[in-house]
Amino acid sequence: MLIYVNDKEINLNENLTITQLIDSLNLNIESTAAAVNKEIVPKAKYAEFILKDKDRLDLVTIAPGG
Amino acid sequence: MAIIPNNHLTTNFEDKLKIGKYSFKSRLIVGTGKYPDFVTMQKAIELSGAEIITVAIRRIDFEQKENMLSFIDQDKYTLLPNTAGCFTAEDAVSTIRLSRELGIFKTDLVKLEVIGDPKTLYPDNEELLKAAKILVKEGFTVMPYIIDDPIVAKKLEDIGCPVVMPLASPIGSGLGIRNPYNLKIIKETVSIPVIVDAGVGTASDAAKTMELGVDGILMNTAIAGATDPLNMALAMNYAVKAGRLAFLSGRIPMKLYASASTQMEGIVF
Repeated sequence: MLIYVNDKEINLNENLTITQLIDSLNLNIESTAAAVNKEIVPKAKYAEFILKDKDRLDLVTIAPGG
Repeated sequence: MAIIPNNHLTTNFEDKLKIGKYSFKSRLIVGTGKYPDFVTMQKAIELSGAEIITVAIRRIDFEQKENMLSFIDQDKYTLLPNTAGCFTAEDAVSTIRLSRELGIFKTDLVKLEVIGDPKTLYPDNEELLKAAKILVKEGFTVMPYIIDDPIVAKKLEDIGCPVVMPLASPIGSGLGIRNPYNLKIIKETVSIPVIVDAGVGTASDAAKTMELGVDGILMNTAIAGATDPLNMALAMNYAVKAGRLAFLSGRIPMKLYASASTQMEGIVF
């Protein structure tokens, strides 16, 4: 299936969870927050949240700012 | 090479900045933007003496190899997420809710800014008030960035913000205080702390701002954009302390004519 991660197209296997995706991208889950199709997903749900074809996933963290 | 801060530069009284249920020794809050690298950022923060540092919430940059968090000692500093770049109440509220899901912030302090115009970066008061109401209700300690408008400041106090943060001049402009009288009026209008956020260009601006009697200053560009950010961070550290002490000490009134410092009694010729 095709999903968009931070607007970038990524081809993934079916039935992948947010936790699995974060792991596959080598990101630190402790400092990552996620929204799917602009809806915030609580961190406690990452392990059970299954991504669907054409989902738009935003993965955020802290960045420099004033 | 920066000068080592003098440890004797401390006051012998309790003079803490209180924001809601939190209190801080430093009255300077610094941003983390615009530094050439994270090591410079880390050193500048340390030299500024700040205890609160602002950060943005952004999409992960997959090309970025360094983790910003590893340059910030969270036992030493309070991280303050901001809503920079948000133009609607909805976006600002979503950004703060998303920041909460990060699970890395140890307080519920948030810096709320809702921008109304990209050129001046002035806030949209209507959207700001809307966002502040929602976030206060959700239990956040909301620190709103505002224009130097006493009416908006009062409304935000009434909503439940424990601090207001009026600008001195536009963000990143370095113009210093454009309207010191309004800052004084805001200070007299609200009974919550007033932190001047944005516009400071150099150390004298910071000292003058503190001499007005405001409770603190938040700055980023003035330090990060300086030719030597480390020494400027130290200069701002001193300037905020100097301005605060001068304010508390009560300056002499200004007079048109001279008043001799040396007594005339005992003069020989």
